Amino acid sequence: MGSPGPASTPLAFDRLTVDYGERRAVDHLTLAVRPGEIYGLLGSNGAGKSSALKSIVGLVRPTDGHIQVFGSDAVDDGLRARELVGYVPESTVLYEALTPREFLEFVAGVRRLDAGIAGERMRAFAEAFRLGPELEEPIATLSNGTRQKVLLAAALLHEPRLLVLDEPLNSLDPRSVRLVKELLVRYVARGGRGVLFSTHTVEIAAAICHRIGILDGGVLRGEGTLGELRTRVARGDASLEEIFLRLTRGDEGLAEALAGLDRGADGLG
Amino acid sequence: MGWAEARRWSGFAYRELAFQAIYAFRQGAIAPNVPAAELVPRAERRVLQGKLVVATTLVLLAAGAALLAHVGPTVLPGPAVAPGAYTVGIVTAVLSLEVTFLWWTGLQILPTFVASRALEALVPLPIDPATFRKIAALLYLKLFDAPVAAVLVATPAFFGLALGWPAGAALVPATVCAVAFALGLSLVTGRFFYRRVLGSRGGGGSTLLRWAYLVLWVAPAFALVGFVTVAPSFFAALEPLASGFPSTPGVLLLAAFPIPFSAFAAFLAPTGGHLALGPGTATIVVAAMAGYAGLAGGVLSWVYGSVGRLAGPVPAVVRPGPAPQYRLRPQRAPWAVMTKDLRLASRTPGFAFLVLLPVLDALALGLLTYARAAAQAATSLALGAVSAAALLATFFGPAFFAIEVIAYSYGRTLPLPDRAVVVGKATLVAAIYLVSGGLVLGLAGLRIPAPLVFAGFVAAELPAVLAATLLELGLLFRWARRRATPVPNLYSGAWNAFVVTLPGLAIAAFPLLLDQVRGLGTMALAAVAELVVIAPVVLGRDGR
Repeated sequence: MGSPGPASTPLAFDRLTVDYGERRAVDHLTLAVRPGEIYGLLGSNGAGKSSALKSIVGLVRPTDGHIQVFGSDAVDDGLRARELVGYVPESTVLYEALTPREFLEFVAGVRRLDAGIAGERMRAFAEAFRLGPELEEPIATLSNGTRQKVLLAAALLHEPRLLVLDEPLNSLDPRSVRLVKELLVRYVARGGRGVLFSTHTVEIAAAICHRIGILDGGVLRGEGTLGELRTRVARGDASLEEIFLRLTRGDEGLAEALAGLDRGADGLG
Repeated sequence: MGWAEARRWSGFAYRELAFQAIYAFRQGAIAPNVPAAELVPRAERRVLQGKLVVATTLVLLAAGAALLAHVGPTVLPGPAVAPGAYTVGIVTAVLSLEVTFLWWTGLQILPTFVASRALEALVPLPIDPATFRKIAALLYLKLFDAPVAAVLVATPAFFGLALGWPAGAALVPATVCAVAFALGLSLVTGRFFYRRVLGSRGGGGSTLLRWAYLVLWVAPAFALVGFVTVAPSFFAALEPLASGFPSTPGVLLLAAFPIPFSAFAAFLAPTGGHLALGPGTATIVVAAMAGYAGLAGGVLSWVYGSVGRLAGPVPAVVRPGPAPQYRLRPQRAPWAVMTKDLRLASRTPGFAFLVLLPVLDALALGLLTYARAAAQAATSLALGAVSAAALLATFFGPAFFAIEVIAYSYGRTLPLPDRAVVVGKATLVAAIYLVSGGLVLGLAGLRIPAPLVFAGFVAAELPAVLAATLLELGLLFRWARRRATPVPNLYSGAWNAFVVTLPGLAIAAFPLLLDQVRGLGTMALAAVAELVVIAPVVLGRDGR
């Protein structure tokens, strides 16, 4: 089976580079999310995951390189790309003074959704995530977890062809985490869709992602299925955590750091 | 921990507050293209500039009032007013305006105080409750420091120069009471806001109720207009005080804040503005002053103990309501933007102010037409009210753009063209103008000889208001794109606001001036021509 054409490839980064002043956050990143795939972008804090994801929806302007969403250039034709994407940002910052229902109504309006369909989808999300009276309470009064559920509902409201999720499970309760993981698996199983999922939690990446890219200092250190990554580090039984630490050299100095912490604790004691 | 430690902690909290007040990162704004080391000093400078503007206004108010007191009642039109009553009136006006101005400043600041979560960051630290109260009180006071200093120093000093040092010294306790009451009122109404406005549930009835509450928020802004309007009646009401034998209503008036302090200052003033106080009135004045001083002490103590309670994660109290309706009514993008802005404004006093000020101004001036005996004077006032509404709406129009600072990053991720945002906000500004014009027409329709011509005037100005707002918003978008900077950060600079608003005001004012020299027909043609020229430029190729 050949590789899918650009128009059917949910997302393709081609030498994507993002700079903040003199600091390079993403360095010539090239990767693709294939149809029917959940692609996990795994990285430490500050690895460039969020910058890469933000550039898809126009929050960050790339310094160099290209981003294509189902063949549309996400920089030159940002509106078209944003129509195809459902995005959950890293922070749960929303229009604080709106209620979730008012917020979803705004999103549905901007996305030109039919009132009946949008209402039914909201009901489905509300029931699945157990959002009841919270739908009519100002977002400012809601917990981070509830805001995260609202963001997920807003991202999925228009049944997007590409889901871009930046640490989407951070504030969720265990039931909701399970729900979202199942939802993502079913979502891509319907065909022709893709998910780009950033996380720094290796267990989640290992559990639901078809392929994983390991980002470190803005550079892709390795990508592939878990099996392919094991081959890359030449250890057939390596866990994803071990692979991640090996590829990012995160295990270097780990013992010394722990010893230093112990000395600090002894000093306090 | 003592006050020194509390002062140090409040310094950290203040820095965070200033930072969030300017850059609103907690509300979703994105960092501007400024070196990181510059962000905090720049934010502190801007907050200081804001406080200095308020303080300067208060100093000018005190200086102007003191000058009027020095000149004496001869400046007043109409029947002569006794010098003593005149002095009492002027001092009362300045103290009342200081309370309302400080109160209004507090109302504008308080949402930032809470939204910044500057105190919340200190909650998990091992700080004992007594020290935390000190930190909160110092932080709250820091928000008002320059304006409060202006009131406490400028008012006694200027009136000391105008009426003599004993009178000036007598105003020191008066200004302390004024400051205490303003700080207390700000906190009471601020807490009220979080209980009844921010915590208000969705739905039509709640929305109407929120707008009603928000009228209270805007009301202090009308203090000066209100005082000028009632000044003649006020001076007349004070006349009996000068006779030394006030009636029962006169005694009640004498006991109302801040009149006892004003009367005492006038009593200590030299012959020019002196107020004679008999034993009875003097007893009332002294007793009332002592009572207000005690009350001010109580208020300050309450503020000291209460301000820290605003430090919680979200102090809003949501009242339980019926089960949610799973019904959405999506609107086309420009209408969705407008509805969203109105809903945000209904829970955000700063934005509610933009909507309510032109409308309430039109309401006040419309009602004033009934105070004009001649129909010609009423017509002039009504036309002035509509012109003011057009200019106010145009002046505040670009500020609606700042709404995008709230969750700006999320709004940018939606397929929302610039054109839709500009059209939505321009439509909202036009609607505010139309509501204001309609109010004036409704109120003054019976007082003016040609209401249909007046309606034509309101309609003729509408395209100019739209054109002006489109230009202002279009300029903001253009700059934002050119500099690849989030618009709110660009607009937070006073210079940008000035640059954007000036051409807008000129466009809105031009047809109004044409009406004066060439008549209504030329005015209407000019307004339409402005819209025809500006709309395609703003909404065309660049209005993606």
